[in-house]
Amino acid sequence: MTEKWKQEKWAEDIWYRGKTTRRRLVGWGAGAIGAAMLIPAPWRAAFGAAKSYKIGSEQPLSGAGAAGGKTAVVGLQMAADRINKNGGINGRPVELDIVDDESSPAVARQKSEKLAQEDNIDAHVGGFLSNICLACMPVWMDAKIVNMISVCLDTTLTTTHCNRYSFRTYDYAPAQAVAFAPTLTKMAKKWYIVFADYSWGQSTRDAYVAEIKKNGGEVVGTTGIPLNTPDMTPFLSKISGNFDGLFGIDFGKDGVTLATQAYDLGLTKKYKWAGDGSISESTNLLAIGNKIDGFIAINRYIPVFQGPLDTPYHRTWFNEAKQRLAKIDPSGPLPDKYVQSNYEALNALKIGMEKSKFQGRSDTMKLIEALEGLELKAGPDFPQGDKMIRKEDHQAFPQEFIFEVSGGTYHLRETVPGAKTIVPPACTFSA
Amino acid sequence: MGAIGQFFHAIPLDLIIIQTVNGLVTGMILALIASGLTLIFGIMDVVNFAHGELFMLGAYIGFVLFAATGSFWLALVGSSLVVAILGAALQIATLRPLIGRDPLNTILVTFGISLILQNYALWQFGSTVRRVPQPVSQQFTLFYLQYPWYRILIAFLSAAIIGAFWAFLKYGKFGIWIRATAQDRVMAQAMGIPVPWVYTGVFAIGAAMAAASGVLFAPLVGVSHTMGLDWVLQAFIVVVVGGMGNLGGSIVAAIFISLLEAYASIWLDPSQAVILSFVVLILTLLFRPTGLFASATR
Repeated sequence: MTEKWKQEKWAEDIWYRGKTTRRRLVGWGAGAIGAAMLIPAPWRAAFGAAKSYKIGSEQPLSGAGAAGGKTAVVGLQMAADRINKNGGINGRPVELDIVDDESSPAVARQKSEKLAQEDNIDAHVGGFLSNICLACMPVWMDAKIVNMISVCLDTTLTTTHCNRYSFRTYDYAPAQAVAFAPTLTKMAKKWYIVFADYSWGQSTRDAYVAEIKKNGGEVVGTTGIPLNTPDMTPFLSKISGNFDGLFGIDFGKDGVTLATQAYDLGLTKKYKWAGDGSISESTNLLAIGNKIDGFIAINRYIPVFQGPLDTPYHRTWFNEAKQRLAKIDPSGPLPDKYVQSNYEALNALKIGMEKSKFQGRSDTMKLIEALEGLELKAGPDFPQGDKMIRKEDHQAFPQEFIFEVSGGTYHLRETVPGAKTIVPPACTFSA
Repeated sequence: MGAIGQFFHAIPLDLIIIQTVNGLVTGMILALIASGLTLIFGIMDVVNFAHGELFMLGAYIGFVLFAATGSFWLALVGSSLVVAILGAALQIATLRPLIGRDPLNTILVTFGISLILQNYALWQFGSTVRRVPQPVSQQFTLFYLQYPWYRILIAFLSAAIIGAFWAFLKYGKFGIWIRATAQDRVMAQAMGIPVPWVYTGVFAIGAAMAAASGVLFAPLVGVSHTMGLDWVLQAFIVVVVGGMGNLGGSIVAAIFISLLEAYASIWLDPSQAVILSFVVLILTLLFRPTGLFASATR
């Protein structure tokens, strides 16, 4: 019965007479692709002939950072769709040009150069792994392209490695340390830090060592564990001595390994257990289970409707992000800071482009001036809350959330306003 | 007492014992992964770049089976069987047509398979790290640590699987075929041994061993699409140091390198300790390129 259609007259040409040659198949395929290209993208109908703004974005869509990169793209796409739905920027649509940096600085640099030179992007929003952000910053500077960093947390991006073209619209470790250190020193006076041994982890460790000391505490030892270490137990086993608190700095699957193996060795029961919120992102919670109960952490975003996050615009944003995440992850994770910061980085760029009446790369300096000191008000564009991009180093200071993880969810303990996390700028822009 | 005496006197005994246990446990997991890799190379001359992804796939299938059955042990056995079948299918579809061709072809094919499997896992399971609970959650006191019994169990299970495999190679009919093929494939074929099917069987066994180690290790780290990458590099080092295709050599090398890293971490930073395995690799390639434990002929 399934073969009956082959007897039909219409089917004879393509099947019965055996005329489905390779050439014909290629012809039909090419025709179909051509036809698809002629059908306009939905936003083209709304914007007529208006030339789109091309926003480049390098993200790790394969390799070690792929899981986070895919989540980051959800935030970026959400913002772009919303911008286009609401009339675009200066009446022009936004078109995303997303490239896969393969979690490799060398590949990222090569592809960033392509985005700048061949694809002629108007601005860049992206960067997930700090070593990749550091490797690519000179590319954006040389090409005079505004670079809205969207996930990278390495401190030096807006301090010793800062440049006029790069902006960070979310927090960094020194601000988090300022916000968290008073709580930490109330929990324990002597701390031991375990950190991811690469640029972000090292700069975050330095920030906490300094702030814990300022608040009357002491860091008695640190252990850096290289990224992607398959078994951390030999290194965690060494941790002992005269201290009361264990502080963890890690992310992604390494965060799962650290939390799981520290628990298995009894370290998280023996000592007060706190750390960077990246360890307990929603994509990690399922894997760690109840082994992370009692973990006190800080993060710029947690997926809850408590305190200042209990707003209608946050709920709307949360629901849409959750729906979109379910399409790329069947377990249906809750939105995390990677979705949030990509979404908000593109929205910040939009406001800067509107304010500066940005038309193209020749207006980059006007765009930079518009972004410097820009106040980003809590609302549908910025569901995380208010923030301001500081002129001196292009660093923003959002509110921070101190929370406890238990029963597989987050319990907000304290909100630290952005104004109370400010640290002096440590950046000098080259001429 | 001389300087050397003082040095040994200053070694903290508790830490030495803890790191010996750690090194043995990690070494046995690594040995299980590496034995599949070295088996495939030893018999088929295939450098299987997809081995880490078979480890990862084993862990994911273990997660699915655990979710369905609630039994870790069923998940362990079921995952090994499923990945063995998948391994056989992969060998028939992609590697068998390349028998006799330049080894570079098989390297490219297995590398391609690894990329496909990795991206498939990300697409199918998403970015959320998955959990396989430990079947044994008790701990015992090891000096200042609470040490999980499960890690000890992993070491014993890995040893048992490797031991069973050794017995199979030594006494089983198919095992004898495998050894015969490894010694002289032309003569084995002339004697009526179905060499192409031996290859398929070997690849399936190697895949099953990777899957079993994936399930065993999953409770310690969670299941993610890149978990295989972390182990496979070390497994390759072990295979080279142990002597390509030398099963016993790989096991000894796995334990040796893991113990070396564990002891080194007493005095060195972790980042320096992990470099040691590369130092061993370089020294091996320089002074004994056939591997520390390579037999005279293969």
